[in-house]
Amino acid sequence: MIPELLSALPLTLAIMFVALLAGFCLALVATTFRVRRVPVISQLADLYVSYARSVPVVLQLFVAFYGLPVLAGLFGVPDFLSATAASMLGLSLYHGGYLSEVMRPAYLAVDRGQHDAADSLGYSFRQKIFRVVGPQTIHIALPGYGNSLIYMIHNVALVMYIGAADVMATAHLIMERDYNQYQFQTYLVLAVIYSAMCLIVWLAVRFFERRSSMYVPNAAPIKTTLMASA
Amino acid sequence: MLELKNLRLSYGSTQILNGVDLSVRRGDVVSIIGPSGTGKTTLLKCINYLVKPASGTITFDQIRMDYQRVDKAAIQAIRCRTAMVFQQFNVFKNMTVIQNVMDPLVVVQRKSKDEARQIALQELERVGLSAKQDSYPSQLSGGQLQRTGIARALAVRPDVMLFDEPTSSLDPELVGEVLKVIKDVASSGITSLLVTHEMQFARSISNRIVFMDKGIVAADGSPTEIFDTPSSPRLAQFLNSEHTHN
Repeated sequence: MIPELLSALPLTLAIMFVALLAGFCLALVATTFRVRRVPVISQLADLYVSYARSVPVVLQLFVAFYGLPVLAGLFGVPDFLSATAASMLGLSLYHGGYLSEVMRPAYLAVDRGQHDAADSLGYSFRQKIFRVVGPQTIHIALPGYGNSLIYMIHNVALVMYIGAADVMATAHLIMERDYNQYQFQTYLVLAVIYSAMCLIVWLAVRFFERRSSMYVPNAAPIKTTLMASA
Repeated sequence: MLELKNLRLSYGSTQILNGVDLSVRRGDVVSIIGPSGTGKTTLLKCINYLVKPASGTITFDQIRMDYQRVDKAAIQAIRCRTAMVFQQFNVFKNMTVIQNVMDPLVVVQRKSKDEARQIALQELERVGLSAKQDSYPSQLSGGQLQRTGIARALAVRPDVMLFDEPTSSLDPELVGEVLKVIKDVASSGITSLLVTHEMQFARSISNRIVFMDKGIVAADGSPTEIFDTPSSPRLAQFLNSEHTHN
């Protein structure tokens, strides 16, 4: 049972990493437009973010898997999307929108005076972002980013509804094959696998949080609880 | 060297600057005083375009700009030749003291790291912060933060220093150490504009005092003229109230 479950792990991780990476890039672009208030494009970015945040993730996956081919069909493009590709696409869109709403408040939480100081010294917008505002935004955004990573790991489990063969889908296959004898054990192994993934993410986020804790006033060592975070 | 003409600005229906004219000669140390909300800080921030006036012109040596036509090159040129010290310090929180001072030199002036470090060490020595060069802002007192801000401003070798209420958010105990540094800067001959509520201090370091009231320059003269023979009842009343508070 365990080797079978683990054999589905690479695909699960692939979906996750693609979604995390693409989602991060999408969030960066969306957030940039939203904080700079470019007419029309900013409103479209707002619309995208509210779609990603307010429509249930399962529904977003259905939209990606069943909806997009219909849309593509209107333009005469044949159905090109496999379940795996649709999972990656759907989760990327979800994660990007969700993350944008982590990044935007973090950016806005950076003290206005930091912008003023950089501007007054002649920094260009890019220089200001890369040298001053960006690092401080990252520090503020880290806890929220950690949460969104964990949601992302959990939400990958939903891709079985559109037929992608991740660990969750594989677990169900195994259980059915074994006439549901080992349901509890299988779910237990599954829980351990998800917990391990969350634990790794939590450790990574904590490492970065500690590294940038010097930026905050009265920096006290950050205390985190294992159970609450993972 | 610096001339502002007819600066106007309003937030909603509140007029902040109501046609301000101000000219500063090289080597001047000008203190801008006046009641709160009369646009002193706003005026200072118009010079380096942190605040955008609705209309007016600025002349800075050869650079001329009409505020109604935004000229990015002119703004950048002015920003590179002025340096501002802020009421809230605005020291970069993600950098150590010495990085704060070096960064503009490396990023904006494209100096080498070694050269920037040398200048930074020199300026930190000047403000008495050599021992704190590797501290982060979160580990410093207000006075030390403001001295970092001053070192950062001095390091870019500005033609004009803009001090925006540099001691207003400091504990009374820490005001002295910052004023001492500013006095040193002013006496070194750098053209300086200082918005302040420290009347005695303004008097002792400035060669000119500008009194702003209701968005205009209401009086402009030597410290003796302003403090000893106030030209208007409003100025006399203002000085009187400041005097009773101090």
